[in-house]
Amino acid sequence: MHVDFEAGLARAGARIDGTWSNLRFFVSRHPLGAVGAVIMAVFVLAAIFAGAITTHDPLQTNASISLAPPSAQHWLGADFMGRDVFSRIVYGARISLAVGLGSTLLGCILGVALGLTSGYLGGWVDLVVQRVVDILQALPLLVLALVMAASLGPSLQNTIIAIAIPLIPYAARVVRSNTLTLREQPFVEAAKAVGMSELRIALRHVLPNTLAPLIVLATAQLGAAILTEASLSFLGLGIPEPHPSWGRMLSESAAEYVRTAPWLVIFPGVAISLTVFGTNLLGDALRDILDPRQRG
Amino acid sequence: MLGYLARRFSLMIVTLFGISVIIFVLLRLLPGNIADILFDSAGLINPAEKQQIERELGLDRPIPVQYAAWIGGMIEGDLGYSYKTERPAIEEIAPRIPITAKLAALALAFSVLLGVPLGVVSAVRQNTALDYLLRVLSLSGLSMPAFWLGLLILMAFVAAFGTIPIYTDPPKSVWDELLLYSIPAAAVGFRSSALLMRLTRSAMLEVLRQDYIRTARSKGASERTVNYHHALRNAVLPLVTVIGIEAAFLIGGLIVTETVFNIPGVARFLVEAIRWRDYPVVQNLVMLIAVIVVVVNFIVDLLYAVLDPRIRYAN
Amino acid sequence: MHRAFRRFVTAGALVVGVSVVASAFAGEPKPGGVLKMYHRENPGSASIHEEATYSTNVPFMPVFNNLVIYDQHVAQNSLQSIVPELATSWSLNDDKTRLTFKLRQGVKWHDGKPFTSKDVKCTWDMLMGKSSAKFRKNPRKNWYENVTEITTNGDYEATFNLKRPQPALLALLASGYSPVYPCHVSPAEMRSHPIGTGPFKFVEWKQNESIKLARNPDYWRKGRPYLDGIEFTVIPNRSTAILAFIAGRLDMTFPTEVTVPLLKDVKAQAPQAVCQMAPINVSTNIIINRDTPPFDNPQIRQALALTLDRKAFVDILSEGQADIGASMLPGPEGVWGMPKEMLQTISGYGPDVQKNRAEARSLMEQQGYGPDKHLNIKVSTRNLAVYRDPAVILIDQLKEIYIDADLDVVETGSWFAKIARKDYALGLNLTGNSVDDPDQNFYENYACGSERNYTQYCNKALEKQFDAQSMETDLEKRKKMVWEIDKQLQEDVARPIIFHGRNATCWQPYVKDITVMVNSSYNGYRYEDVWLDK
Repeated sequence: MHVDFEAGLARAGARIDGTWSNLRFFVSRHPLGAVGAVIMAVFVLAAIFAGAITTHDPLQTNASISLAPPSAQHWLGADFMGRDVFSRIVYGARISLAVGLGSTLLGCILGVALGLTSGYLGGWVDLVVQRVVDILQALPLLVLALVMAASLGPSLQNTIIAIAIPLIPYAARVVRSNTLTLREQPFVEAAKAVGMSELRIALRHVLPNTLAPLIVLATAQLGAAILTEASLSFLGLGIPEPHPSWGRMLSESAAEYVRTAPWLVIFPGVAISLTVFGTNLLGDALRDILDPRQRG
Repeated sequence: MLGYLARRFSLMIVTLFGISVIIFVLLRLLPGNIADILFDSAGLINPAEKQQIERELGLDRPIPVQYAAWIGGMIEGDLGYSYKTERPAIEEIAPRIPITAKLAALALAFSVLLGVPLGVVSAVRQNTALDYLLRVLSLSGLSMPAFWLGLLILMAFVAAFGTIPIYTDPPKSVWDELLLYSIPAAAVGFRSSALLMRLTRSAMLEVLRQDYIRTARSKGASERTVNYHHALRNAVLPLVTVIGIEAAFLIGGLIVTETVFNIPGVARFLVEAIRWRDYPVVQNLVMLIAVIVVVVNFIVDLLYAVLDPRIRYAN
Repeated sequence: MHRAFRRFVTAGALVVGVSVVASAFAGEPKPGGVLKMYHRENPGSASIHEEATYSTNVPFMPVFNNLVIYDQHVAQNSLQSIVPELATSWSLNDDKTRLTFKLRQGVKWHDGKPFTSKDVKCTWDMLMGKSSAKFRKNPRKNWYENVTEITTNGDYEATFNLKRPQPALLALLASGYSPVYPCHVSPAEMRSHPIGTGPFKFVEWKQNESIKLARNPDYWRKGRPYLDGIEFTVIPNRSTAILAFIAGRLDMTFPTEVTVPLLKDVKAQAPQAVCQMAPINVSTNIIINRDTPPFDNPQIRQALALTLDRKAFVDILSEGQADIGASMLPGPEGVWGMPKEMLQTISGYGPDVQKNRAEARSLMEQQGYGPDKHLNIKVSTRNLAVYRDPAVILIDQLKEIYIDADLDVVETGSWFAKIARKDYALGLNLTGNSVDDPDQNFYENYACGSERNYTQYCNKALEKQFDAQSMETDLEKRKKMVWEIDKQLQEDVARPIIFHGRNATCWQPYVKDITVMVNSSYNGYRYEDVWLDK
């Protein structure tokens, strides 16, 4: 299954990147999307190479620079405990990336599994799964994530789970509706006729054909996941100290210095907004390319 | 139509029932209960006294029994007692509802007032610099955490006026109230307005391409009349959609915004009640939110069916 | 002595450049007006006896009276500053085991019922767990271990019968934590609608929103209180609350809630505000799991004590505005802190941090740790900034002695359960001492089997000395005994004290006659003499 899934991804991906000319076409056709792609690339690179980019240890405390304003040594200033804000924001990209990708992937995989089963098998399975999806969707994402995060306790892994679960129904919906139409397609009938197993048909033929809308959805959810993590951490329920989560940086201690050290409030918020902005720009462009029906 | 209505209604009841089970079980999985929190605040760890509290609150009963007691009470109109204040849960929740409702209504009004006109302008001026600017703006609206926007507004307010628009006293007049709530409402509503703008724009674009608009134009209707009268009337559908989608998001946004602006509404109360493991308050509050979201979506679906008959038959 | 001390506080406050209490003594008190302040959180309940935080004391102390109380105008609480309240006088019998209070006559509860000795007996019977009515929780039960029973003689005399002499019992009774409750009101009602005899009546409490008190017109002290009422607005976000104060929407901050960085902000933005910085008698300390590796090893505990750079904690967290001491609050504000020279003889308290750490590293090396073999542990703490911030610094300092620590943030509600299970290695903890008296501190935090002795440190020989100091009536002799005990506690690495915090309280200049206590943050909130010069 793994291989098939990746092959499907690659096939879908081949349409957007690959050769230079394709890339140039993408940039000229979707300038905003290209900007989004650049923002996302910077974000991902910052997360991967955080150690090389940063000037300071993000956890190192230093009394002498407590609440120091931005300077040549500390580009974005220092926080209450004298930790370098720039370094913390760069390392924070790792956490946002981990939570964003982790919960989106987890939510999508579970959603795909549910949607495929539901759409392909139909009948009472479909009915039950649809109710579960309805139930999950009837609660605001943040409310569900809030209760989940509180019950699981604050940690990176638990935050990913708490955000992933409320995301399940969205992927399930998309996959199910696509599966319903695909099920009736001639090539599926043909596969059945030659005696292919149901599972194989679902994974080999149905799944790859729902990838395009799924990628569009996942990009949108990446942004939603990052925003939800920020909100949870802001409320003290997400990523615990001393990890430099952007939402956590904005929480209590930072809010206390709104007046005396505004950089503690401004920069982490800019980091969140810019990253989510990147996912949104890229998501819009991807939607135009992959899923023209939903063009907005 | 009646059959459709009945089907949707029964589905709604099933969904609400499912939510009640999930939220109930989820809460009981939370580490620590009210007894732990009470003891925690007093720095005590005597297990015998703790069990005494659990017995008094009925927390030692099996979960299905507790659930049956909750649902049974709810049917009779009894929502139980807050563990923390020992007062009826309904008395704790009820006074907060109008506060959050006003905030949500203002936020929605703000988003409509900002989102719809900008969406129309953006569509009419499609692919101009203005269109691009508005689209980038709306995307940035979708990208900013509402609480951060709230913090920025607070900072700006303090810098400009030296005062702070947060809740310290109950407002004394309608004008006071409007002033107090309009800023947090704007912080929350900005996001919805961005979404609304995008949807209005795409709906407008579609409508502008339709035959009857061309007919109207050819009949000599002014550009203005065409754009704002004919086209906008047909863009009502996305508005309805947005309200459906945003009901859930709005509540999410309010949770953090009420915290930032110190507004004693439902959303902030929920966070506090989760912290205290005040099950009767949390489960009833979450149910209240779920009922609102589900009912709003139900109404949206009905409006859809009325506005666009194709949907009714497709179902 | 009181007057001398008041002068000292005045002078000290002037040095830090804050205008002071002294101005409060000018002018005739004017009656009227409502004092508006914020509350830092929505308190657990209104029942002072059931809570262990001044989040409850501050808004509800004005509702009650004690038998005796620390003089509300004297900043330093001590046995000498105790004055009568519902008791008009007190006396001891010859062997000092019967403490008898003569009670004030004609006092009425807020619901109109008369106050009598029965109420005194009821309150302490309940505190000692002897009555049928029970508190939901009873955090200070062990204060009265030495009391056998309360006896009454008529309606206006009550006697505390003691197992052995305990001069400091009076210090406990004078605390804000020791109000007299009415017999005829149930503990449950006291949690949501308290009835007292105090200067202010409880009006309403809107959860998460506000608490309102109104003047008690039938207060037994004629002409008091001056204020028509006190209103608390719940504002959990500290910066928002301070902003509201700066903007002039509040008359006063929540007591001791203004931190050093915020104080700077207040001074810059609201220069007219009167602020006073004082110790709060809350120590930031480390609790150690002494029963399981690695800290069951005394050498490693010793290394931990040696690596602490207390000055760095104080510099980072409060720009030097905190006090370094053993478990009793250091002087001059604290009555019982040992002299500085003695403090510096305790290992880890010496001024040369590098030397201490070198010693600590060699201890670690003897246990097989070194640059290539680090010890991995978790530092557990609660999910609150005042806990988390020092924990982060502790982790940073542990690196110096080959210990790699992860922060384990524990949600409220699981914290004490986790500590009780011994499911931790090190914990960063805050201990508030409501009364600046060794009896409260030693028995509560270090006695074998005490519920709040979280580390279960137990030293029977030392406990004999707890009793000896408790019975000692000579102040100077008792002080010397206390210093020795305190030194022993530090050398045993029982619960290493990092620092004693200081915070400020601010009010608008027209708020008069506020006295901020300098060695406790639990006892100074009767507010019957406070008035507004408007």
